[in-house]
Amino acid sequence: MSAPALPSPFRTCVFTGRRIHKDAEALVKANAVVAVVALLIGAIAALLLVLTRWQAVHLLPADWYYRILGVHGMNMLIFFIIYFEMAVLWFASTALLNARPAAPRLGWVSFGLMSVGALIVEWMQWSGKADVLFTSYPPLKAHPLFYLGIILFAVGALIMVGQFFATLVIAKREKTYEGSLPLVVYGAVTAAIIAVITLLHGAMIYIPTFLWSIGVIESVDPQIYRMIWWGLGHSSQQINVAAMVAVWYMLAALTVGGVVLNEKVSRSAFVLYVLFISMASAHHLLVDPGFGPAWKIVNTSYFMYMAVLASMIHGFTVPAGMELGMRLRGYTQGLFGWLRRAPWGDPGFSGMVFSVVVFGFVGGITGVTIGTEQINIIAHNTMRIPGHFHATVVSGTAMAFMAATYYLIPLVFRRKVAFWAAARWQPYLFALGMLLLSMGMTFAGSFGVPRRHWDISFSQAPFSVQFDPAVDLVLAVMGIGGIMAVTGALIFIAIAVKSVFFGEPLGEVVRGVAVAGIPQGLTHPPVHAANVDEINERLHRESSRWTGPTPGTMALVAVFLVAFVVYYFTNWKLLSVLWKVG
Amino acid sequence: MPSPEPTPQPEESPPLMQRLFDNVFLLLALGLVIMFVVYTGWGMWEILSMPQGTLP
Repeated sequence: MSAPALPSPFRTCVFTGRRIHKDAEALVKANAVVAVVALLIGAIAALLLVLTRWQAVHLLPADWYYRILGVHGMNMLIFFIIYFEMAVLWFASTALLNARPAAPRLGWVSFGLMSVGALIVEWMQWSGKADVLFTSYPPLKAHPLFYLGIILFAVGALIMVGQFFATLVIAKREKTYEGSLPLVVYGAVTAAIIAVITLLHGAMIYIPTFLWSIGVIESVDPQIYRMIWWGLGHSSQQINVAAMVAVWYMLAALTVGGVVLNEKVSRSAFVLYVLFISMASAHHLLVDPGFGPAWKIVNTSYFMYMAVLASMIHGFTVPAGMELGMRLRGYTQGLFGWLRRAPWGDPGFSGMVFSVVVFGFVGGITGVTIGTEQINIIAHNTMRIPGHFHATVVSGTAMAFMAATYYLIPLVFRRKVAFWAAARWQPYLFALGMLLLSMGMTFAGSFGVPRRHWDISFSQAPFSVQFDPAVDLVLAVMGIGGIMAVTGALIFIAIAVKSVFFGEPLGEVVRGVAVAGIPQGLTHPPVHAANVDEINERLHRESSRWTGPTPGTMALVAVFLVAFVVYYFTNWKLLSVLWKVG
Repeated sequence: MPSPEPTPQPEESPPLMQRLFDNVFLLLALGLVIMFVVYTGWGMWEILSMPQGTLP
C-alpha cells in the first residue's frame, strides 16, 4: 500500500508559470498587509501635520503636533517601508528564484517580533509617553518600552534579512537558477545588505539608550547618539532606494518589456550602493561641531558621489531599457513615439514612471545640492530637508511600492484590483500632490522656514520674526499638495484592502483579452516584434554616435543635467549672497 | 566506422569581476567594513579625540 502523496508546497503562477512556495507567499502577504496598515496610520498623521504646518489653518495644538510628527515618522519611514521591503525580500528570494524559503516558521517568529515591537511603539507614541520625535535625540527621554519596541522590531527585521540570505544559499545549492542572480534579485540583495548595516547601527544606539532610560547607565552622549543614530535613520532610507530601483527594473520588464541595457553596468551601480550609499548619513551632521571637515567631506562628497553616480546610472538605464524595449516591439517612431504609445492607463507603469522622474528631478537634485557641505549651511534644519526626502522616500519609494502593488495583487493575492477606474488615475493624483508638497516645502525652506516647528509666527515668543510674504503662498501650495497626496494614499489603501480581503478572484485569465482589474502587462505580456533582429540592427546602424539607440532617453537626460547644473550653481550663488565678502 | 564521441568542453569559468559581484557575502562584508571604518569608526574617533572644552 503506498502512502498518500503529500500536497505540494508550491503552486504554479498562472501568469508567469513560476513555482510559488505557499509558505513564502503567506509571508509576503502578511508583511504587505501590515505595511498598508502602517501607511494608513502614517497618512492620517500626514494630513494632520500638513494642516498644522499650513500656517493659515494651524490645526493641532503644540503637544499633539510633536506627538503626531513622531507617529508619522515611525509609521512612514520605518514600519510601512520596512514591512514592504520584507515582502519584497521574500518575493524576490522565492518567487523570482523558484526557491523554497529558509525556515518559514522562523519567518513568522520574526514577523511576530516586528509586530509586537511596532505595536508597543504605537502605544507609547499615541499615549504621549514618547514625545521625542522620530529621532529621539537625548537628552529627550521616552518611556523605556518605546526603545524596547524599536529593538524588538529591529531584531525581527534582522532575522528576516538573515532568512533572505539563507534562502539565496538554498536556491544556489538546489540549483533553482543558473548563472548570476537575476538583476531584480540582485537589487533586493543590495537592499538586504544595506538593511544589515542599518539595523546594526540601530542596535548599537538603541540598546544603550534603552539602558539609559531604565537607569542602568547614567547618560548617552548626544553627539555619539546623533552619529550612530543617523547610521540607522538615513541608511534605512537607502534600503528603500535599492528596493525601489529593483522594483523599477521589475515593472519596466512587466509593463512595457523593458530590457536591461547592460548587466555589468547595472550590477556595478548596485555594488556602488552597497559600498558607499550608507555614508550619506553624514549629511545630517554637516553643521555639527564635533566632526572635522575631512570626515564630513569624505563621507558626504567623495564616497557618497559614488552612490550618486549609481543612482544616475539607474536613472538612465531604466528609462533607456524601457525605450529600447518599446522600440524592439515596433514603436520606433520619432524621439518620443515609444513614450506616447506607452500604457499610461496602467497604474503599474504610470506609478513607476512618476517614481523615476520625481525621485531623480526633485529628490536627487535637491539631495546632492543640500548635501554639499558649504551649501548645507543655508538649508540645514529648514523645510528644504523634508522637501527633499518627501521627493525621494514618498514620491520615489512609496510611489514605486504602490505601482508594484497593482501587480502583486493579481500575482500574489490572486485577486483582481478593486475600484479599477480609481486605480488608473490614483498614481496621477498622488504624484501631483506629492510634487506640490515637496516643492512647497523646498521653497518655504529656501525662505528660511524651519522644519519641525509648530508655529512659524512665533506668536508667544519674546521676539518678532517676519518671513517673506511669499511664504504664505508656498505653504498653501504645500497644504493643497499634501491634501491631494493624502487623498491619493487613502484611495490606494481602499483599493488594496478591498482587493485583498473582499476582492474578486482572478478566475480564468486569457492572454490578449483585457480585463478590468488586471494590469495590461499581465493580460498582454509585452513581446518583441516578429522582426526584432532586423529592428535591433537598424536601430544601432541608424542611430547617432552621441545618442545610441535610445535618443529619447538621451534627450531627457540632457534636460535633467541642465536642471541639475542650474539648481546646483543657483545655490552657490545664494550662498555667496548670504556671506558677502568685502 | 562509428564516429568518435564528442569530447565534452570544460565549462568556462565566469570572469573575475562577475565572480566577485556574485559573491553576496563578500559584498556584505565589504559594505559593513567600509561603513564601519569610514563613517562610524572614524566618526567615533573624531568625537572621542575632541579636546575637553574649558569654561571661561
